[in-house]
Amino acid sequence: MSISYLEAIREAQSLALENDKNVFIYGQDVGAFGGAFKATKDLFQKHPDRVIDSPISEDAMVGLAVGAAIEGMRPIIEMQFADFSSVGFNQIVNQAATLYWRTAVSCPITIRLPSGGTPGSGPFHSQCMETIYAHYPGTIVMTPATVEDAYSMLLEAIAIDDPVIFCEHKYLYYHLKSDSLPKQTLPAKNARIVRSGRHATVVTYSAMLHEALRAADNMKIDGYEIEVVDLRCIKPIDMGTVLGSIARTGRVLAIGEAFPWGGVTSEIISRVSSEGFNLLDAPPARLNSIDTPIPYHPDLWRYHRPTASSVEEELRKLIRE
Amino acid sequence: MPQLGESIAEATIKEIKLEVGQTVKTDEDILEVETEKAMMEVTTPCPGKVVEVLAEIDVSYPVGSTLGYLEVDDSIAEKINIDPSEVQNPEPDKVSSNIKTEDDSASDSGALQTTSEDPNNPEVTPTIRGLPVPARASGATYISPRLRARMQELGLNAADLAGIAGTGAGGRVTVEDFESFMFDLETKKTSAASSMRIAVADSMRRSWTRPLATVGSPVCLENLLSHRKESSPKPGPTLYAIRALAIALSERTATAGRLVGNQIIHPSSIDIGFAVEVDDGVLVPVIRNVDQIPLRDLVEQYSALVESAKKRRLPKEASTPPGIATVTNFGSFGIVWATPIPLPEQNLVLGLGRGQQKPHWDAETSSWKPAIEAELTLSFDHRILDGGGAGRLLTRIAELLQRPSDL
Amino acid sequence: MAKSANQNQEPIGKLSTIAVDTYRWMVLARTFEDRISNIYRAGKIVGGVYVGKGQEAFSSSLASQLLKGQDIYSPLIRDMAGRAAFGEPLIDAARTYLGSAQGPTIGRDGNVHRGNSQEGMPTMISHLGAMISVVNGMLFARRLRKKLNTAVGAACIGDGATSTGAFHEALNMAAVEKLPLIISIANNQFAYSTPTDKQFACNELVDRAAGYGVNGININGTDLIECIEGFEKAISLARAGKGPQIVVGNLLRLSGHGEHDDSPYVSDELRSSDLGQDCLLKAKDRIIEESWCTEKECNDIQEQATIEVNTAIAQAESEKGPNPYSHDWNAYSSPSFRK
Repeated sequence: MSISYLEAIREAQSLALENDKNVFIYGQDVGAFGGAFKATKDLFQKHPDRVIDSPISEDAMVGLAVGAAIEGMRPIIEMQFADFSSVGFNQIVNQAATLYWRTAVSCPITIRLPSGGTPGSGPFHSQCMETIYAHYPGTIVMTPATVEDAYSMLLEAIAIDDPVIFCEHKYLYYHLKSDSLPKQTLPAKNARIVRSGRHATVVTYSAMLHEALRAADNMKIDGYEIEVVDLRCIKPIDMGTVLGSIARTGRVLAIGEAFPWGGVTSEIISRVSSEGFNLLDAPPARLNSIDTPIPYHPDLWRYHRPTASSVEEELRKLIRE
Repeated sequence: MPQLGESIAEATIKEIKLEVGQTVKTDEDILEVETEKAMMEVTTPCPGKVVEVLAEIDVSYPVGSTLGYLEVDDSIAEKINIDPSEVQNPEPDKVSSNIKTEDDSASDSGALQTTSEDPNNPEVTPTIRGLPVPARASGATYISPRLRARMQELGLNAADLAGIAGTGAGGRVTVEDFESFMFDLETKKTSAASSMRIAVADSMRRSWTRPLATVGSPVCLENLLSHRKESSPKPGPTLYAIRALAIALSERTATAGRLVGNQIIHPSSIDIGFAVEVDDGVLVPVIRNVDQIPLRDLVEQYSALVESAKKRRLPKEASTPPGIATVTNFGSFGIVWATPIPLPEQNLVLGLGRGQQKPHWDAETSSWKPAIEAELTLSFDHRILDGGGAGRLLTRIAELLQRPSDL
Repeated sequence: MAKSANQNQEPIGKLSTIAVDTYRWMVLARTFEDRISNIYRAGKIVGGVYVGKGQEAFSSSLASQLLKGQDIYSPLIRDMAGRAAFGEPLIDAARTYLGSAQGPTIGRDGNVHRGNSQEGMPTMISHLGAMISVVNGMLFARRLRKKLNTAVGAACIGDGATSTGAFHEALNMAAVEKLPLIISIANNQFAYSTPTDKQFACNELVDRAAGYGVNGININGTDLIECIEGFEKAISLARAGKGPQIVVGNLLRLSGHGEHDDSPYVSDELRSSDLGQDCLLKAKDRIIEESWCTEKECNDIQEQATIEVNTAIAQAESEKGPNPYSHDWNAYSSPSFRK
């Protein structure tokens, strides 16, 4: 049996709908059509009252989710593309994320964002939005990189009593497959050391994990052992695991597909510098996309984002320092 | 007008507590001013005499503007980094006490001064002085934070790395190099360094941070040796040198002074130490006020100290405080000539080499005559003494050693 | 403390009862807000003060006809009268304005940003129009769980908010989902200094309703009876499953945008027009005229209100503000994510 990243997400939702009558899914085309990416395929048939089509109104969708949460439900909002969530930005960061702080009423909503670039998807169907939502207090932001994490972390997200921004990577939807779904899981807020090493630590998340692993494979040929840490959840960040890894290797390269100004990689560098300065054998490094909107043409797009070879280049520079 | 708080750009004078002609000390309250946030005092930066007061009551002055003039001594001026030749008499800066426009507030900022030659491209001079430091360091002497932390953990310092070949960028020693060096050591025969050894190592390392030099000169020992033969009890040759050094130093105390910042601290008493070899190291007992005690009265004290040192039981007054100079008689090991290193808290060490028969030209008889001669060396901190000064000191010592009965 | 007819669970019956009860809330609101304005001018309130002077009739006549414990009421900035009618304890208002640590938001938010969502009154955020979709969600959830019955949800806004995307999206969604939503729009002619002809191009604001496929009711917001009757109609239509109802009350804002504003942009002509009539005075005259209330009873109502207001404010003033050192600086409710 082989299960894809997307199917894992569907399985998790199915299980959640099954086990808790308070869970419902609301988004464009999620009902009979099964969703733009088929993430909710057949779920409407099983639970017709709780998989509901919405109009193109990201603001009102999130507001509705907050109202439903106030009444004790656990809504899942599917944004068709992460890029469109900006229309609902106000409701996410000012209404949902502040509800508990202002009123002591929990806001257990999950917002699923199909994120990240695929060839030809262009500037408005490719964005990684985790930074913007992580910036606001009150949110939890998850960025699963594996089929198993897509499944277990989505289940956890739905169960958490706070707003969770669940960033699923579109490139991994159909490309990433696994043999089975996990029975036991690592809690969402823990980072995982995917590959152990000695010469440098790569800290990354989501699709970039796979680029990092390919780069690490290549470097092994020359005798370099690269340790790779998958953050899994980027807010909160599991700094314990990150610093523990750098204590072993002394060098860190933080990689993100998102735009270079600010973001997860900046956060890693700043925390490592202030909390782990004496662990460093070389200046901490980071690699992000180029500081322009995401280009459409596949050749431009491939150059714009970090890849296994650009990661490898950065690693070699880092190790030579 | 000083910077009286974050974001304060100006303050209004409320009370003036000084007048022209008045003498002031450091940190004296001289003005009361009002900022946006509070009433505050302005204090004097140094002692001096008030020659001009420019500040006026109820007028607002931006941070950095001149409020008055103090006349100070050159030494004070030097201390607070003012070059007297650079002082001008600029117009006092004033700002009208009502509205500040946005442009005004930009130029009123006290933290930076701008030169106004080209208003479109002001050159900014930070008021905080200091040496520029490169933001990223590399190269053979670079020690990364991680390496430094590891070394600190093991109680090591940069001198210990001197023997390690670095494979890092620019030849620097990486943690890997360091650790393979440490692993390597495990394959070698090792013995624990005694605490004496470690103390001496540390002491010599600290001393070596100074520019040291040595001058030397042979001295004829005939007079000294015949004086010694006729003395009872017999003073050791080292003691003659100690006494000669003490007298020479008492005639010019600055040569044994310590340089601290830009001051030379003169010794308050002529205390001379002498090196005694003990197991695995050296002890340096100290005799106090040697310039005031004649040679024969030093003999007993000297012998007792040598004994105690050998037993490693020096009385406290013989080591604390340390002496101002040291004498070392390496001649007793057979060494003719050496360049000993002064103790870190001293800047002079006088060395006495082995006595040897040497031919001396006797002008009277126009012939060579044998005489016992030894090399006298003076190692010194070149920051305090130059070759000339060191040479003169050494010559004086040699001179004193020719008349041992006056010691 | 006086209870409104709905809180006694009596059926919404006689107009006279509703009118007098509603009048009572109007008086309480006006008295409270006059006092708060004074305190603000004395420099004792940090932040903004926004009052609903001139809108009390329109605001309270909606809430006094809703059923607390069943219906949902989302008040906005100028709805002091509505909040009182819906049952918000006056002490909550006093505490929130005066920064008491015992207020509903414990100092984390202030002035009109207060509520009690578990009693059907969600707490507003500043972004206009944003609360409508929250009311949608509350109704939607109840319907999903088959617990909606005949409940309705009301969201209050002003003319300015009808320009927002949030308003549009939420109203459209409610219409598509046929939710029992009432949007009460207090058209007080100005959004801060912006007059309505710069806010919308419709002939009448209520014309927007047709575009969404919902019912619109246009009333004179200064007239208590017209307000009561208008909202009564809207509420019963909503309860009967006729979908969202828009009620536009035409009136004039009788205060500045906030107490820091003296509204120089409101013309004298407007102020002296019919729109500019004070609904409180008009209501008093009317209930006396109809013999629903005597002059003395009206004075008693005012006296009672003054006592309640002064008591609540004195109480709130005597309470301490939040202690930053011992404050629970935590934005998460989940135990495993709290610091």
